[in-house]
Amino acid sequence: MNDLIKELYQEIILDHGQSPRNFGECDPHNKSADGHNPLCGDNLKLTFYINNEDVIEDIKFTGEGCAISLASASLMTEKLKGKKIDVAEEIFSDFTNLVSGTSEDLKVLNEEDSLYALKGVGGFPMRVKCATMAWHAFKSALKS
Amino acid sequence: MLDIKKIRDDFPILDKKILDNKDLIYLDTAASAQKPKVVIDEINSFYSNNYANVSRGVHTLSVESTFRYEDARKKVQKFINADSEREIIFTKSATESINLISNSFASKYINEGDEIILTVMEHHSNIIPWFLIRDRYKCKILFANIDSSGNIDQNHFESLISEKTKLVSITHLSNVFGTIVNQKIINLCNQAGIPILLDGCQSAAHIPIDVKALGCDYYVFSGHKLYAPTGVGVFYGKENLIEELPPYQGGGGMIADVSTDGATFTDLPAKFEAGTPPLVEAYGLGVAIDYVSELGMSEISEHELRLTNYALNKMQELDFVDIHGANGNKHSIISFNIKNVHSHEVSSFLDVEGIAIRAGHHCCQPLMKHLNLNSTARLSFGMYNTEEEIDIFINALKNCRDFFTK
Repeated sequence: MNDLIKELYQEIILDHGQSPRNFGECDPHNKSADGHNPLCGDNLKLTFYINNEDVIEDIKFTGEGCAISLASASLMTEKLKGKKIDVAEEIFSDFTNLVSGTSEDLKVLNEEDSLYALKGVGGFPMRVKCATMAWHAFKSALKS
Repeated sequence: MLDIKKIRDDFPILDKKILDNKDLIYLDTAASAQKPKVVIDEINSFYSNNYANVSRGVHTLSVESTFRYEDARKKVQKFINADSEREIIFTKSATESINLISNSFASKYINEGDEIILTVMEHHSNIIPWFLIRDRYKCKILFANIDSSGNIDQNHFESLISEKTKLVSITHLSNVFGTIVNQKIINLCNQAGIPILLDGCQSAAHIPIDVKALGCDYYVFSGHKLYAPTGVGVFYGKENLIEELPPYQGGGGMIADVSTDGATFTDLPAKFEAGTPPLVEAYGLGVAIDYVSELGMSEISEHELRLTNYALNKMQELDFVDIHGANGNKHSIISFNIKNVHSHEVSSFLDVEGIAIRAGHHCCQPLMKHLNLNSTARLSFGMYNTEEEIDIFINALKNCRDFFTK
């Protein structure tokens, strides 16, 4: 078995890809956005609720996609739930750096983090968009 | 019989090693074909020895360039058995070819309420240009259904034809199913007096093309899928039809010009070639046509059909593989899914084994929706592929299944 493949598809990725957490729609929610990967047709819908203390109280997603995109969305919801928006934005920029191979100066993420499992995506440049689809939906929902 | 070993020696990229020194197994020719050394070398030689703009200057290099460019046109004409080189228009791509005919045809013939028939399995490049026409002229785009084999549902197609039908535009060889359009569909259009455009992007590289025997009015294809460089496409239209059509773009080179060898151009084909054309690319296409013609398109076609059937038989033995349109008569293209594994995973897994296949919607989202699929994996063959490569591919599929569904 090739090492790159093993690194890409770590146990936690396959697990979250097959059984994504926080799958569904938040009720109520006050932010939502659609994510779309025009290269392959994968898509998701992200919904979350931000309370009056700027904390993401609940966050869920639905959609269809490959193991990488589903696992990334699933791990994202686990990570962001309960976080303040400014922290969530730092995690966003750390994560996009991590999967695009520029992971030297991470601010909030470290190797202990479950999101670190997606670092292997850096070895497959064409798959970076799979890993970041949910995250860009999050960012665009924040702006909406 | 083709000497595949000798052919493989003609393609420098086949020596490339992928990642951990795996031999490249290129099964993505439907997306773009690799280039033989003679094409690469001749492009280099053109730029090094003969290059200047065409049909403009009267100096030696302009003549040499113009001669090469026009010679390529003759080669294309012969390759698809067109009546005249005036029927061969060089474009930058098959996509531009379809945009050319859709714009030019619509501006003359399309009015509100008119209908254009496509099929649900068209490539986006044979859908979106027509959507743009629909929005501008308030006409209708009708989609013919397909059957479970990946062929056009003939009854449904026939039911769509009416006095409102102004044009039919359909794929000649499906880039998802590998199925070839039934001649009856073309005959139906001919009998009804409806002009028909065949999208030949996949067929031109895999089966001998005779536009007259086919009975199509328009035919388009791209160079890069036919072992030629990117940046050149072909638009063919029957002379009496395209003589009546207005230009698609305006610019230099659309009017008659003179060079030292006395060559002058009438309205066609220059009327449709505004601006400096992709002349080196067109020359490269001519070289590629010489290359495949020398080997024989029939021989290439037979070899690729043999590979297709070999792969189909092996894949049908795998109970974890779904082949799309499995019962259709496929040529050079097979789309499939591994049960419960996304096509991206399949493609990434095969990639590290050195195997290049396509994953995704293949620019056929209406078809994917019709099939209720998110995406498929696709292998496609070129003249350089072998049975041994298919064996390695099949073995990798098994490993892939084991890895993801353990």
